[in-house]
This record gives sequence, structure tokens and C-alpha cells, in this order.
Amino acid sequence: MKAAAAPGVVTDLLPADQVLTGEEGLAWSRGFPAEAVVFPASPDEVRALVRVANETGTGLVPAGRGSWLWAGGWTGEGCVIVSTERLDGVDHYEPADLTLTAGAGLGWGDLDGVLRPYGQWMPADPPGAWAGTLGGVVGCGVSGPLQGCYGAVRDNVLGLEVVTGRGRVLRVGGRVVKNVAGYDLVRLFTGSRGSLGVITSVSVRLFPLPGADVTLCFAGEVEEVPAMAAKVRTVALPVAAAEAVAAAPGAGREMELRVRVLGGDGEVEDVCSRLVREIGAGPGRTLRGVESRALHRRRAGWEDGSSLVVRLAALPDRLAETLARARGVAGRLGGEVSADVLGGLVRVKGSPGAAGADGLAGILVRTRLAMEEAGGTMTLSRARPELGARVGWTGSPDGGGPLAERIKSLFDPRSILSARCP
Amino acid sequence: MIPASLTRSLVGACGRDGVIVDEDRLVVYESDALTAYRHRPGAVVLPRTTAQVRGVVRAIAQHGFPIVPRGAGTGLSGGAVALDGAVVVGTARMNRILAIDVANRRAVLQPGVINSELSEAARPHGLYYAPDPSSQTACTIGGNVAENSGGPHCLKYGVTSRYVTGLTVVLADGSAVRLGGQGRDAPGYDLVGLFVGSEGCFGIATEIEVGLLPMPEGVRTLLGVFDRIEDAGRAVSDIVSAGLLPAAMEIVDGPTIRAVEDSVFAAGYPTDAEAALVIEFDGMEAGLDADTARAAAFCADAGAREVRSARDEHERTALWKGRKKAFGALGRIAPDLLVQDATVPRTTLPSILRGISEIGKRYRLVVANVFHAGDGNLHPNILFDRRDRDELERVERASREIMQLCVDSGGTITGEHGVGLDKKHHMPLIHGPAELRAMWGVRRVFDPAGVMNPGKVLPDLPPAGGARDGSGVHKGQPATVAAAKP
Repeated sequence: MKAAAAPGVVTDLLPADQVLTGEEGLAWSRGFPAEAVVFPASPDEVRALVRVANETGTGLVPAGRGSWLWAGGWTGEGCVIVSTERLDGVDHYEPADLTLTAGAGLGWGDLDGVLRPYGQWMPADPPGAWAGTLGGVVGCGVSGPLQGCYGAVRDNVLGLEVVTGRGRVLRVGGRVVKNVAGYDLVRLFTGSRGSLGVITSVSVRLFPLPGADVTLCFAGEVEEVPAMAAKVRTVALPVAAAEAVAAAPGAGREMELRVRVLGGDGEVEDVCSRLVREIGAGPGRTLRGVESRALHRRRAGWEDGSSLVVRLAALPDRLAETLARARGVAGRLGGEVSADVLGGLVRVKGSPGAAGADGLAGILVRTRLAMEEAGGTMTLSRARPELGARVGWTGSPDGGGPLAERIKSLFDPRSILSARCP
Repeated sequence: MIPASLTRSLVGACGRDGVIVDEDRLVVYESDALTAYRHRPGAVVLPRTTAQVRGVVRAIAQHGFPIVPRGAGTGLSGGAVALDGAVVVGTARMNRILAIDVANRRAVLQPGVINSELSEAARPHGLYYAPDPSSQTACTIGGNVAENSGGPHCLKYGVTSRYVTGLTVVLADGSAVRLGGQGRDAPGYDLVGLFVGSEGCFGIATEIEVGLLPMPEGVRTLLGVFDRIEDAGRAVSDIVSAGLLPAAMEIVDGPTIRAVEDSVFAAGYPTDAEAALVIEFDGMEAGLDADTARAAAFCADAGAREVRSARDEHERTALWKGRKKAFGALGRIAPDLLVQDATVPRTTLPSILRGISEIGKRYRLVVANVFHAGDGNLHPNILFDRRDRDELERVERASREIMQLCVDSGGTITGEHGVGLDKKHHMPLIHGPAELRAMWGVRRVFDPAGVMNPGKVLPDLPPAGGARDGSGVHKGQPATVAAAKP
């Protein structure tokens, strides 16, 4: 169906300095095998690309800086990556309104740089965000451990400009914090992973930076973690985030439960001392201010560079079982786990080379079945396409499968965007 | 009237006491809380279970009647009005809380559960349900889901969609689908988020899973009294930009204060003031007093002539009373009330309030403002008497001008009441043809035959062919469209 020259027809639309091909393209995409990477500088250029892609049947993969290309389970063969890197301007920032509108390609770190001088931030810590863009974070819709306190990324997206797979420019939502004028297409596009359109601009709700940022790190053996986690989860104290991670080598214990508390100075100190009483043991270490922030920033990059990341999610009170299953997978991979204690989500990262491909696929399929039987899910967050094809990226979705298919064909009838690997 | 065969099917599904066809009993269902729109339904059916909802939806659709889902009928946009003899599917008897899962801080409930009853049921466990629309003692969670309802405390805690984690939905063809509810970051499109706020056009939510929050340890409530409403607006803006995050910030203006103080709801607000600003902080005891003191200082700096703080629960209730009973009090002083619901960027509040006041004067109308100032969500109420033709016409013109003013400032036409019947003709003020087409498309994904709540939310589309280049991108949208969007 696809004409051999189709990607060329698409890339010809842009000046040469907005196109990377061959080795340069592969270097940009960290080896993700696409025909070319293009960098449109305006929504109109995105629209033109999408129109020609429709005419020629060329697949497009929307991206920001390309850090999540391996995370979607889509194919790049014969496709063109559309990076929004050049759509990186701040269109509107009114600190007193606590809202910002910027191009989707604005780097996550650059966004932080814009907001911090005004004492504001976007309270989200999705994995990999610091290497990525605002549009990437919104498009992937994945949230980090802070979501238990501040809501998921999608809760704080107010408006979007999207070029749909039909080549239509849609401006959905707005830049006010409460808006129910029509159906909530913002929520539909957020987390749609480039399958419905290319997000070109994003409006978000911001929050004041908390005055104090403290992380208490409690050391414990694996068996102790779920009980400690349950105390943190059910205590009536405002905990911003809590993660259980593998302890540093030589720490003497297997794991560390890191509880982050954000707020005013007096409030945070009070919460911390009450948490220590609740858990019944002092923290092995306490990080404050810059140190705490730096720790979590490093944590956000935990998945970076891994070729396999698996997410196991279930209700938070099932954490012990979820953690046990995750450790089972990690053991076979020689990998490690990280648990979002408030959300009941456990991630496993590792190197698939450590287990035979057949064995690995079998383990993952069995783990998914067990998770689904317990009312949870298992998704592949990063994986090589071959493994993804064998295991399936998301397992059985909720009952909305047929609705989702009709929505996909509504916005991208020729299925040119982010095609899944067969 | 519906045919006897349909009545038989409905009775078969829900029993005789679950079907209303008598004209005198149908009168109750003629309107929602926006009484300007009145249409008598062909029938009302009150199922108890998902299976019954499936049965009645199938029967109604087979007979070719439209379906209007309805909670408690407290909506303010005409969304639950039954056009063209539609059959109302009411959730009044689906009022069971199915589970309060304390360990996971969530609840599973039927759609007819009253909002405040959920919080009451959760309270013994130290939990509550955060979204608190002013009608929370009457409105249902199903209605809240349909409207994506807000409330005073949404400033800090967010609106309904943040709390809905899973839904069972009966679609127009009678099928039931389960959406979400599988823990964090469920794979696939956020269909739960898309469904919330769909105003009964996508289907009927028959089972709802929501998140609960732990009760805050402490609460502090302040009342700032101002001689000029713009000063109150400035205090709000200053508090927000100083990095304080109150749970609620609400303004009641002079005309409303006088209406309240004249009524049985008198709250002790000074009647010569032009604005009362209610500010509430909640959270850990430590730090609450400091935040409250800072907010009080901002009020004083902005020109408040008095700042009161509530010393106990009794005083707190009194400070809130004027705000919570404002609509009721306004209803007493004029036969008719038109409530608007625009949201504007918070920094534009002072100028918008001045603009609204000027529009009111120009059209010789009393405009009373009661609103969620912290969110920039305005509720200008125009008081009038519909029997006065000239006044009615002035109300309509003033109303449109106010809406346009808000849209021009970068705002939207509705922050929490929904579009319904009332604002669907204003949708082109903020959405271009491409966006409206996209919304129509999504609506048809859920309801291809157009059975669910027809005639609401979306204006009819202009005839196709407007975009000659076939790209679907429409040029020449009104200037306000560009201003209103990111």
C-alpha cells in the first residue's frame, strides 16, 4: 500500500535543516528505526506533513525529544518521526493566574526554568520527564509518584492544540482552571500517545512551589516494606509521594522506603515527626530542600536507558502481592523494582538479555494473567518490538475497546499515526 | 405520551411503581433547577440496577423515543429537560453505596447516591468526598459525573473528573461497558475522563468508582469585608500569586449581601458593604494559622475595612451561611433569576467585575454576583420579571454581553454548570467548527443513532463543505475564538 518514495514526499515539505535522515536520524532517535526525523516549526507545517502523509499512506510517529520512542510499541519502519522540538516557545505565562501555555516541544527542564523564578511548578514527576518535553509528558500521560497528592498529569492539563490524523487543527479546552463547555477532549488526547494527533501546544495549571521539601528514607527488608507502606498510605497525614526502592549497595537492608513531604516549613516538620512515630522507627537518612529535590529528579530518570520496563498496577492494598510478582520478574531479569506505594504501582526494569526470549515472554504472560486475575494490570512500558508483539503491550483493556477503536478511526481514519507493531 | 407497548416493556423491566406516565406526576419532571426551560417527558422510568437500565434503554430506543438521563434535577443548564416527549431514565432508586473501601480510599456507588450522603458514609472512617457543589445535599453523584461538577472547595481539590476512577456505563444500544477502575495509569484512552462531563449524551453511568480523601485535621475560615468589589478581586489575585493555596475563596457582592441579610438566611454581613470574601484554609494544624494570617494581611492591604475569623465551628457555619444561601435569598427578591457560569483568568477578575457592573447599569438591571473567586468562576445573577417584556429583552442582551466580555478575556462560557440546553447556542463563542465537529464525532462514537439526550450541548453543525481545501481547517472564525483558546 505504501509507496516506496512516500517518506521522501513527506520530508520534502520542509527545508533541509528541518530534516534528519540516515545515521543522523538514527542518532537522534537512539536507534529507533525510522526513515527520517522532521522538525516542523509551526502547527501549519505539522498540518501539511499530516496531509501529505495521508495522501501517500506514510506512517508518522509524533514525538518530542524522542525519549519515549521505544515505549509505545509502535513501528518506525517506513515511517517518519515528527518531533515538536522546534515548537518550544512560551506563548502565555501569567504567574498570578497560575497557568501557562507553551509549545509542546518545550523541554521539561526548560519549563521548570521558566516557572521556578516565580516560585511555581508543574507538580508531576513522570519517568523520563527531564529528558523530554511538555508535549511528550502530556502525550504519554504517564504520571509519577506525586500524582497521589497533586493529581495525574491529565488533571492539570487545561487545554491543547492538536493536529489530528485527519490534518485538522483542534484547540480543545482553554486556559482557565474550570471549564465544562463541551466534551472533555483534553482528557481524550492526554495520554493518547500520538495515536490521535500531534499535540502542538499545551496549557497547564500550575502550583506554588512548596516552601519545604523533605524526604524521609526508612530502610527495611523486602518483607517489611508492605507493612510500612500501608502505614504511610493510610495515616491521615499529607504525604506527597512514597516510593519503595532497592537500597544502595552496602546499605545493610534490601530496600528503602522514601517518603516525601511537601508544604510550609512548620507543617512539614510536624508531618515528618508524626510519620516517624507512626512507622515506629527513625529514618536512616533525611534529605531536605535541594537534596530532596535532586533525589527525586534522579529518580525520575530511573527508567532511562533500560530496554525493558514493565508496570504492574493493582489497588494499593495489594502492594505485597504486586511487589512479590514484580520481584519474581526482576529476579529472572537480573533487574530491580520500584514501587509507588500510594498508587499500588510497581515497576520492573532490567535487561532482557539476561533471560532467554522465550522464557521471558512466558514469565511476562503468566505475570499478566496473575495481575488481571487479581483485578490489576500489567503493561510493557519499554520493550523491544519483538517482545512487545509476543507479550502484548497492554493486555486486555477495559470494556472500552470497541469505543477506543471508533475514536481512533474518527481522528485518524487512515491509521497513519503511531501504528502498533504487528 | 408513550405507546402502551412501551409502557408494558418499562413496567416489565422495573415494575409498576417504577414507571410514571400520569400527566400530573410528570409535571415534576418538566424542568431542572433552571426553570426557564419546561418540557413534559413522555414518561419517567426509575430502574434500580444496571440490568434494568439496560432493559429500559433497549425498549425505549426500539420504540424510537429519545432518552434523557436524570439525577436529582438540580442542574442549572436545562440538561435534564426532556425534549420531544423523550423518556426520562431517573436514577432516584439507584441510591446504594456498594462499597467504602477504606484501605484504598475509594467508594463504589450507584449513580443516585446524594453527594453529601457519600461524605457522611465515609466520615466514620476519617474520609470524605471532595467535590462539593452548592446543591450537595440534593444533587446525585451520577449528576455530578454527567456535569463534571465543581464546588467551592475545588479551588484546592479539583473537580469531579479528578475523583472518578471507574465507571459502568449503559450505552444507547443497551450494552453495558466497564471503563477504568484497574488502578493507576490504566492502559488505553482515558474514556472515564471523556465520559465525565458528557451531560448524558454518551450513556448512563450505572456504577461509579470514586476516590476519597482523608478529612483535613484543621480548618480556618476568614471573612473579608470590602467597600469595593474590585478590591476583593485584587485580594484574591494577590493571595493566589503569593503562593497560598486556600481550600476555597468565595465572593458575595453588595446586592447579594443585602438580599441575604434581608432574608431568613441572615449571616451578619454588613449591609453597606460591596463585597464579602470568604476564605478557607484546611490541612494540618501546624501552618494553618500562619497561612490564615497572611491571607488576612492581603485582604487588609487590598483595602478590606474589616477581616473576621471564625473561632469555632458555629462561627464558621455562620460565615459560610451568607455564601451558601445566596441563591435562595436572591430567589426571594425577584420572580426570575438568570445565573451565568463563565470562568475567567483570575487576574482579570477586577476588570471583569467592573465590566459586569457597567453592563448591568447600562441595561438598568440588578446583577448580583456570588462566585468561586479563587477559580475565576463567576456566577452573575440577573434579577428580573419575565412578565416585563422590555426587561426580558434587556436581560437577554446584557447576558450575552457579559458572556462575550468573559470570553474576550480568555475565559469560557461555563465553568461547572454545563452547557445543556441553555448555553448550546453560545458554544460557537469559544469553539470553532472543527472543534464542534470533533465533539459531534465523539458523541456519535458513543451514540451513533442520537438517542441519548438529543438537542443538548452541541449546536447543529453548519452544512458541510465550508472548508474547500478539504483539510477541515476553518478560517474566519470570530476573533473571540482565537482569544479564548491556548
